[in-house]
Amino acid sequence: MKSLFLARILLLAAAGEEYAEHVAGDLEEEFRSIRSLRGAWAGHRWYAWQVVRSVLPLLNMRARSGELTPVLLCASFGVAFPLLLLDRLWSFVYSQIPLKDGLHRAPEFLAVNALSASIGAAIGGAGTTSMRSAAIRAAAAAVSAGFALWLSAGAAPAIYVSILLLAAPASSLITFMWRRTA
Amino acid sequence: MKWVLRIGGALVALLLVVLITLVAMGHRADAGRIRATVEIGASPEQLWPWVNDRDKLTRWVSWLVDVREETPDAAVGARRVWVMKDENNGGAPMEILGVFREYIPMKRLTVAVSSGDAFDGVQTYEFTDLGNGRTRMDIDSHFHFGARFAQLMEPVISPAARKKLVGDLGRLKALVEEHASVPQPAR
Repeated sequence: MKSLFLARILLLAAAGEEYAEHVAGDLEEEFRSIRSLRGAWAGHRWYAWQVVRSVLPLLNMRARSGELTPVLLCASFGVAFPLLLLDRLWSFVYSQIPLKDGLHRAPEFLAVNALSASIGAAIGGAGTTSMRSAAIRAAAAAVSAGFALWLSAGAAPAIYVSILLLAAPASSLITFMWRRTA
Repeated sequence: MKWVLRIGGALVALLLVVLITLVAMGHRADAGRIRATVEIGASPEQLWPWVNDRDKLTRWVSWLVDVREETPDAAVGARRVWVMKDENNGGAPMEILGVFREYIPMKRLTVAVSSGDAFDGVQTYEFTDLGNGRTRMDIDSHFHFGARFAQLMEPVISPAARKKLVGDLGRLKALVEEHASVPQPAR
């Protein structure tokens, strides 16, 4: 029986090329022994918890080693920064309306935001060479889009949030796949 | 570094296209002009107070929190200060001075508006009695923005302002019609 698929993917993404097999192998070994002693449910639970506990330290380790720098820069300057800049721009536009207006953005403004994030994420995705790094950049694009949404002054309807959080990673992955097949 | 240059290049190219479009659109004949019309199921007499009374104005003009009367009489030359709440500027209050240029009760009201160096303009409210207790209200505004960046963004600001105005007029229509349908007590 294999460990939880999603937890394993998360672990591999967080650990990166250098540590992935080593960390995953250690956990897998421990998982097998716990499963045989305490049953499948306990084994899965233990594995998922270990992955959750390890994600942040692994990411921290990679950030310190400089391995994540391109990913972070790409996500920041390709997705989060343009989104925040656009949010400031829309705030300015609404504050210039002679009779003022609120924080609800027009759909076309939100469309420009989504397009900008998708372009930024797509360019970031084009720079990757392996499926694993493409997945990491896609995840980083989604996280930075979420971060920009959290910092935005404008109201964000649920549909816009969903589109943005899907479009950013999807365009990153699509560009990677398109480049690989081209 | 290749990907940094790619992102930078793409953003600069996109920005250039947007800038050129904005500059071109900013030179159109009706730049800064905002017009809107609404037909309301009320007579001009019933509608008129809604563009004059402080308490009524704050009910339909969104983000308007107060109207200060700097001169007591409503006539040509009267000065009113509209205090708006600017949610896009951290909720900071913003004052807009309006000076009546034309004041023909139940027919026409023209106000010269200005807000420091931000913008100035003229806004005209025209009332047309359509009979059977119906009135058409036309609002025609022309604004000029003071800041260079605001001038550049005019093609984006004006449609957003029009959308806001249409929303406000929808609220006005609902309020006036609701009020007009309530039977007035016999005198």
